[in-house]
Amino acid sequence: MSGLALAAVFFAGAGLAPLVVRDAFFLDSLVLILIWGTCAAAWNVAGGYAGQISLGHSAFFGLGAYAAALLTTRWALSPWLGLAVGALVATAIGLVIGYLSNRLRGPYFVLATIAFSQVLLIVGSRWRAVTAGSEGIPVPFRPGFWTLGIADKRVWVWIVLGLAVLAYLVGLYLERARRGYQLMAVREDEDAALSLGVPARRLKVAAICVSAAFTAACGALWAQYVGFVDPFYVFSVDLSVRFALATIIGGLGTALGPFLGAALVTTVETYLRAQFGGIGAGLVGIYLIIYGCALIVMVRWLPQGLVGWIAERVRRRAVPGAAS
Amino acid sequence: MHALPQLIASTILLGSIYALIAVGLTLIFGVMRVVNFAHGEFLMLGMYLAFWAFTLVGFDPYLTLVVSLPLWFAVGWASYRLVMGPIVHASHNVQVFTTVGFSIALQNLALVLWTADARFVRTDYYAVVVRIANAAFNVAQVVAFGLAVALTAGLFAFMRWSYTGKVMRATAQDRHASALMGIDTDRVYALTWTVGIACVGLAGVLLAPIYPVYPTAGLQFVLIAYVAVVLGGLGDMAGALIAAVLVATVEVVGSYVIGTAWKEVLYLLLFIAILVVRPAGLFGQRGAEALGM
Repeated sequence: MSGLALAAVFFAGAGLAPLVVRDAFFLDSLVLILIWGTCAAAWNVAGGYAGQISLGHSAFFGLGAYAAALLTTRWALSPWLGLAVGALVATAIGLVIGYLSNRLRGPYFVLATIAFSQVLLIVGSRWRAVTAGSEGIPVPFRPGFWTLGIADKRVWVWIVLGLAVLAYLVGLYLERARRGYQLMAVREDEDAALSLGVPARRLKVAAICVSAAFTAACGALWAQYVGFVDPFYVFSVDLSVRFALATIIGGLGTALGPFLGAALVTTVETYLRAQFGGIGAGLVGIYLIIYGCALIVMVRWLPQGLVGWIAERVRRRAVPGAAS
Repeated sequence: MHALPQLIASTILLGSIYALIAVGLTLIFGVMRVVNFAHGEFLMLGMYLAFWAFTLVGFDPYLTLVVSLPLWFAVGWASYRLVMGPIVHASHNVQVFTTVGFSIALQNLALVLWTADARFVRTDYYAVVVRIANAAFNVAQVVAFGLAVALTAGLFAFMRWSYTGKVMRATAQDRHASALMGIDTDRVYALTWTVGIACVGLAGVLLAPIYPVYPTAGLQFVLIAYVAVVLGGLGDMAGALIAAVLVATVEVVGSYVIGTAWKEVLYLLLFIAILVVRPAGLFGQRGAEALGM
């Protein structure tokens, strides 16, 4: 129950904060935390529950961002439609990658996903006829909800929060439902799960599709929020690593973990950038050095992440007889 | 086809450079079953070492190559003790994220220390070109080719005929049986990692006179090296060499026919296709990739 309570506090806090705080910087951070948290939660469906570690998830994020940006700039269609199209395309590609994942295990799958996001990076930056090439696409600001031209950051917080809660509910479903247990059984031992009649292949494909669709939706919203799509950013390996990192720090295969991880990672990054960044400063990379080291340290000593660590504490306190 | 001799020459020279990076990777991949995502970063460090030795003390990259040999073994050994050793028996996910984290940390350490500027080693001979028949050869590329072949042949002979090499191959085949035969597998892993890192570090020094160096310089090379390693069959030294030349062929012919802008797409698609159709590689045994994976 403590997990649910913590999640309720987290999401209610995020939803109510805009009513109290008007500071643009704080609201901007909150929007980004929720977007990255949703991406991490989406990554977690494939990487955490299904055990399909992908380092090419930026491909889906970029697809969503490009779908929304292209539909608005070329055909003046609503970015909401772009979001849907991006999510659909991502699901279709997730289907293909999901079937590949049935052939590729462990590091081979990781390599294939990296290669795939690199292919999209090259297509995005070189196929000038469609994508505007390496200079990227500026997304025009057309006021209105349907066109997602919203200046008020509070509204953005609520829009993104809606998607975030949805992603959290998917995680919660997997933690409690039969399908979730089956998926985790596949992660732990695919052959054993298969022999028990678990439809391992279909479940893995479904997990990757859901994960891809959510990531693309995040990409579409992000493109509208930031107002610019840069192929070298949205398809980068760094972005894929960011999704994975937030999940691992928060707790792999937990519903709330990705959001806690994203909150921590985004806050630390913002702080360090403000501290060491700026024009002429050569220390902008410092937060990434810390990320790299954090990744090594976390997987070795705290593989359960923050959520696992907190749960451990709570359990110890709940059983006082065990300690003394 | 007046361009044919040049295409063949470029393919062989480029292929040897890829092979140089791939041999260390395939050694670590084959024996330890670890995909080293930080491999390209050691290449980048090697290139920076050559650059700074050249700029600060005026060392020629080929002098640096000889002088830095013990340094690379020290770097390899230290990184094994600190980072890789503790997780060598851990799950694949832990290994993947450890080397990815290592890669991010090293890449950005270089960014913080040396900025993102592309730097060049401008030796006196960097533009010297040798012409044979209709093909032009860059001197530094020819040297890199010669050393790559020598290094691969040396490593191949070491793995095949030396006692240590046999021990390493035994560990690659079955780590548990090897341990039962009295082989100290942890020491084998330490040695494998050290030799693999030394190879790629030296490769970096060797590449410095040919390519510019910047913090993410390793990524483009290492992606190609992965293609060669998987195509050649994991842990297969000779396979990696042949596969590296094959990948270079795709790249050279591809950029000649469809232009340089799209050549990367070609080998990345080739890579995905190989992963899906024949993950054991061209020369590997079918299903071998699933063992210990």
